[in-house]
Amino acid sequence: MERSQILRAVIRKQPGQSFLLDVDCQAAPGFTILFGASGAGKTTLLDCIAGIARPDAGSIAIGDRVLFDAVKDINLPTAKRRLGYVFQGLSLFPHMTVEQNVHYGLSRLTSAERSSRTAKILQAFRIADLAGQSARTISGGESQRVALARTLVTDPDVLLLDEPLAALDAPTKSTIIDDLRQWNRDHQIPILYVTHSREEVFALGERVLVLEAGRIVFEGTPHEVMAAPRQETVAQLAGFENVFDVTVQEVHPERGTMLCIISPHRPPAYGTSGSVWLETPLVRAGVGSKLRVGIRAGDILLATSRPGGLSARNVIAGRVTALEQRDVIVSAHVNCGVEMEVSLTLAARDSLELTPGREVWLVIKTHSCHLMRN
Amino acid sequence: MTIDWQAFRLTFELALTVSAILLVIGLPIAYWIAFSPRRWKFLVEAIVALPIVLPPTVLGFYVLVALGPRSPLGHWWISLTGHTLAFTFTGLVIGSILYSLPFAVQPFAASFASVDRRLIAASATLGASPLRTFFRVIAPLSLPGLITGAALSFAHTMGEFGVVLMVGGNIPGVTRTVSIDIFDRVQSSDYAGANATALMLLIFCFVILAVVYGVNRKAWIITGTLSSGA
Amino acid sequence: MSCMNLREADTGNMKSFLCSMLIAFTLASVLPSAKAQAKTEPAPLVVAAAADLSSALKEIADNYQKKTGVEVKLSFGASGALTQQIENGAPFDLFFSADMDYPRQLIASSHADGATLYEYAIGKLVLWAPADSPLDLEHKGVDVLLDPSVKKIAIANPQHAPYGRAAVAALTHYGLYDQVSSRLVLGENVGQAAQFAESGNAQVGFVALAHAVAPAMQGKGKYWIVPVDAYPPLAQGVVVLAQSQHKKEAADFLQYVKDNSDVLKKYGFTLPH
Repeated sequence: MERSQILRAVIRKQPGQSFLLDVDCQAAPGFTILFGASGAGKTTLLDCIAGIARPDAGSIAIGDRVLFDAVKDINLPTAKRRLGYVFQGLSLFPHMTVEQNVHYGLSRLTSAERSSRTAKILQAFRIADLAGQSARTISGGESQRVALARTLVTDPDVLLLDEPLAALDAPTKSTIIDDLRQWNRDHQIPILYVTHSREEVFALGERVLVLEAGRIVFEGTPHEVMAAPRQETVAQLAGFENVFDVTVQEVHPERGTMLCIISPHRPPAYGTSGSVWLETPLVRAGVGSKLRVGIRAGDILLATSRPGGLSARNVIAGRVTALEQRDVIVSAHVNCGVEMEVSLTLAARDSLELTPGREVWLVIKTHSCHLMRN
Repeated sequence: MTIDWQAFRLTFELALTVSAILLVIGLPIAYWIAFSPRRWKFLVEAIVALPIVLPPTVLGFYVLVALGPRSPLGHWWISLTGHTLAFTFTGLVIGSILYSLPFAVQPFAASFASVDRRLIAASATLGASPLRTFFRVIAPLSLPGLITGAALSFAHTMGEFGVVLMVGGNIPGVTRTVSIDIFDRVQSSDYAGANATALMLLIFCFVILAVVYGVNRKAWIITGTLSSGA
Repeated sequence: MSCMNLREADTGNMKSFLCSMLIAFTLASVLPSAKAQAKTEPAPLVVAAAADLSSALKEIADNYQKKTGVEVKLSFGASGALTQQIENGAPFDLFFSADMDYPRQLIASSHADGATLYEYAIGKLVLWAPADSPLDLEHKGVDVLLDPSVKKIAIANPQHAPYGRAAVAALTHYGLYDQVSSRLVLGENVGQAAQFAESGNAQVGFVALAHAVAPAMQGKGKYWIVPVDAYPPLAQGVVVLAQSQHKKEAADFLQYVKDNSDVLKKYGFTLPH
């Protein structure tokens, strides 16, 4: 059987939510990451491919095998689609043992073949010692390995994974990711992996499809996503903690910059004029255009006295409203007319003696302001 | 003051027959109610629930008159079997099946519906046909509901009175059930006999239900915490 | 709770609404009974009667209401069942039984007034079959029961219905009881036995003559009057009950029945002399 098959899906579905799922995508053998916020339609998309949900229009095929075609009225039942689907959370059969769960999909094989295949995959996922245990009594990480084993032992043509690692801790996650990668090297099939975790995207992703409100807004490698994010979802993926709506006030083609004003949200801090100006790189937009700006928390410098002689074009006064410590990073929330999040080291916080209420200045380079269409 | 044991045996036979039949016909109906996407499902649910609110005399009336020898349906039945449905054990069984239907179907359907849909979806993605999914996944996880439905229809039929009164004809060994026996004794002022029989029925039903719920509790522990959600 | 202490706020509006509803409801439940006592309406009579009187007594009661304005509420059933209900406190004023024993039982247990016991009619037992039945009742009489097409014979339950006892007596008298006993189906009262026969579920039934000649049954069946020597006479007695709150009105109605006994004759009852 031809193993290097491409999954093609054209799906339109009105799932009863506010938006329409409308995608046209392809997944070659290997990992394709489906990234998006909750409710963006990722699970619905997987359900359509699996045959659990029925699209209103479109077609789904793996290589030459048609799974669904609205025009020709083909709708293969789930059981005949020969794919694997690992759900988020528990889906092991609680009334069966681990071994019974794993060989559930192998009922058509002879008893001998079934036992040998089951034993092999239990070994591969390092859960052979759990074989006789009831599925209710094993831990979360073990459960997901069993779920993966159960799905992969049936040798599916396509693998669908819906946030399979969501409830697990970091070490467990990374061992399972390694197992998956190893398995992917040995069996080249399209793997659609849904996640909203940036780390998993970069750990697994060969290709990323970003889904927002039912539409694919970006397709490419994880690095391409980092380079020039245009939509907010993508911005989140690429790690922009600060995203603002701005209006272009002045355009300076000779300088290669634009002046934008951020619409203020809060009463301005003492000593500020009340609105925040940002000098950003020049893009093709006229005065009055409404755009979006993304600035990474790690790209903003903090100063406790007004700095001078800097190359940075944006020096903004503000007041610290809160300080949050996460591991070895400190997140400072500063009100400068709008609220900005700034990342510092613990050492920096201590040496600047930062406390809430302290007056500070924010330093932002022009090129740290990434412009996005609204 | 002797207890009519024949009535007890007859009533037990009736209850057993009815709950066995309800297990067979109730499961497909309950499956359909639990999983069908049809928009007019609520009509079927209402029909199934009717016997709960209708007085048993309505059912008795239909068995007697609408299925009697004067109606085309009754005429056909007589040509098939040689006698009417009334005054026979079969007539009681049919009347009781209709009367106890919701007591079986509703617990069945509720427990099917409470099986985590993802388990059913998982079974399908692993290549199992709907039949296999039912027997390997849905039924084992709905065991508490199945046991409850069978127990309720059994107990409900043990206490069946209205339909039996309407169409039974009070024939000893054939249609004189325990509830009719008690009624007769009270009407003849044989309070001692009525009391003894009623007490016996109470104890009998209590023991059966206690055993069933005891077994059910064990089944619930195995399946209960996991078949809904998480 | 005081409605007067409410402040005029939005929640206050809700509270005052509920308050006025409560007052209205209380008034509504108090006033009608006050109103009722102001009117002088005769109290209705509640009468328990044997099933065979279902047509005859209804007609008499209707006429009585037209004449005097007194409503007579009728409850029909097996005499034994009704006796048992009365002994357990059922609020009847009068009891028309289908025999004399049950009224005597009530007198003995002090539930009925012995002085009022009166034999108001003699009932007759008939063998009834639907009009389209092939059975030749007119010529064969009780021998039709031996016909192989007779699978079920309906009678009232002899344990608590006088007509059932009479049917069993008649069958014994004709030496047929053992042959037919396995084919008997028992109705709760003679009315249900008639219904079994009328619906065709039983091929024949021993019912009251009163049923056979009732307007509702006209033309629906044929019957054979069982000779009176085959069973103890169905002397039917009536008593006023001890617990009745309207003994005078009950006696008045009873007198009316005695005076209008030709209605009973119309329904096949014989009058005692």
